[in-house]
Amino acid sequence: MSSGPALVSILRQGDILVASVHTALDDAEMVRFQEDLVEQIGQYRARGVIIDVAALDVIDSFAANTLRSIADIARLRGAHTVIVGIQPDVAFAMVSLGMGLAGVTTALDLEEGLAHLAGIRAGTRSGPSGG
Amino acid sequence: MPEPPEGSHDVDVEALLPMLRRIVGARMGDHPSAEDVVQEAVARVLAAQDRIEPRTLEAYAIRTVRNVMASVWRRDDTDARNRHRTHDPSRPEDGEEIVVASEERSAMTEALARLSDRERELLLAHEVSGHSTKGLGEATGSSPGAVAAQLARTRARLRVEYLLVLEDVEPPTEQCRPVLLALSAADRRRQRELDAPRHLLECPTCARLSEPLLGRTLPRQDEVHVPISGDPDIVAARQAARELAADAGVTGTDLTMLATAVSEVARNIVRFAGNGEVTIELVERPRAGIRVVARDTGPGIPDVDEALRDGFSTYNGLGLGLPGARRLMDEFAVESVSGHGTTVTMTKWFERKA
Repeated sequence: MSSGPALVSILRQGDILVASVHTALDDAEMVRFQEDLVEQIGQYRARGVIIDVAALDVIDSFAANTLRSIADIARLRGAHTVIVGIQPDVAFAMVSLGMGLAGVTTALDLEEGLAHLAGIRAGTRSGPSGG
Repeated sequence: MPEPPEGSHDVDVEALLPMLRRIVGARMGDHPSAEDVVQEAVARVLAAQDRIEPRTLEAYAIRTVRNVMASVWRRDDTDARNRHRTHDPSRPEDGEEIVVASEERSAMTEALARLSDRERELLLAHEVSGHSTKGLGEATGSSPGAVAAQLARTRARLRVEYLLVLEDVEPPTEQCRPVLLALSAADRRRQRELDAPRHLLECPTCARLSEPLLGRTLPRQDEVHVPISGDPDIVAARQAARELAADAGVTGTDLTMLATAVSEVARNIVRFAGNGEVTIELVERPRAGIRVVARDTGPGIPDVDEALRDGFSTYNGLGLGLPGARRLMDEFAVESVSGHGTTVTMTKWFERKA
């Protein structure tokens, strides 16, 4: 983010932000990511956020907690968050750790995530489901 | 010296001197050999004057002085080209080196004096007098192997004492000498007994002294130390663990669980102690596995049982650090001494691929 190759990229597609984590982030970088993303949700009036964590080989308690915070903050700012790309080994370890990200919407991959957000959009008129 | 045959010629040559100096001065300026060139030219003209028509003497002198100058320049050139060949790579002994050498010698003398008489005699008999371990064994009624082992112990002790004398330090605690000795002897069992890594974490003197001692032993392929003092070190620790385990044949979920557990214990060090280290090593007994030891010099955990209970947390997290790591690993133990720090030892067993 500050120098060298980007650790995270945040792309805008309509009113959806797609954030891809490219490499392992330490705690400070994770917090910075959270701040950047929350800022951009406001800036671009995003209604949906997809966080692609396929590149993360470890999601420990701090990372999981930060992802949950992002989803909570985004919800309060009027955007739905979908976490996509959690690797099978990582999912296994997260469950063992006791950190299942309950309450946070997840999807298998980017495509599924986009489809999920589109579904919510379509269903908005009849009332949001709340993820 | 014989009288010059015709004095008039002499006068002529002398009369040429100012002209020669002018020529040389114009071309060579302040060159240190300028006057030598003039004198050399005069000498040659004098030597040749009998063969030369007096009226061509001036022209001959000018020609000669130019030749002499040319040969001086040629010599200067050659010198410059070859100067590097005469460079002496062995630096001349300066005062400082002599002082250092004599300090090292006196440190060695002092270190030898600190050995017991028996140790010193054995060492000198082997190293200086050149007696074999076999001969020494026969003389003392022990096996060559036992003598070799004793020599190794003595050398290890000598290294420690030498360092202590050279650095002019007295070990601050009673544990220092045994720990340094175990490190010097590369005696891993003894190092474990003394909990040497923790001592090095707590004792800056030994941490400094141990560097040259540890530098002797080759870095082990089955062990990694990661110093922990900040957020990036958490990532470094878990990546080191993953790498070591992957090299040992651990795959898939086990790798991720190990890395996640290392992440948790490393974070505990950063959050609660600020400073510590994580050691990851392969173990073979009782079965193949990876052992992770996280040591810190923090305030210690007042109530370990409480810290291991789910949901207990003193920082902004979900209290999953220690209990979470325990669930991810197969063996898990926490040892904490108030005011001294915490050691978390955890192991993951794995099936080695055939």
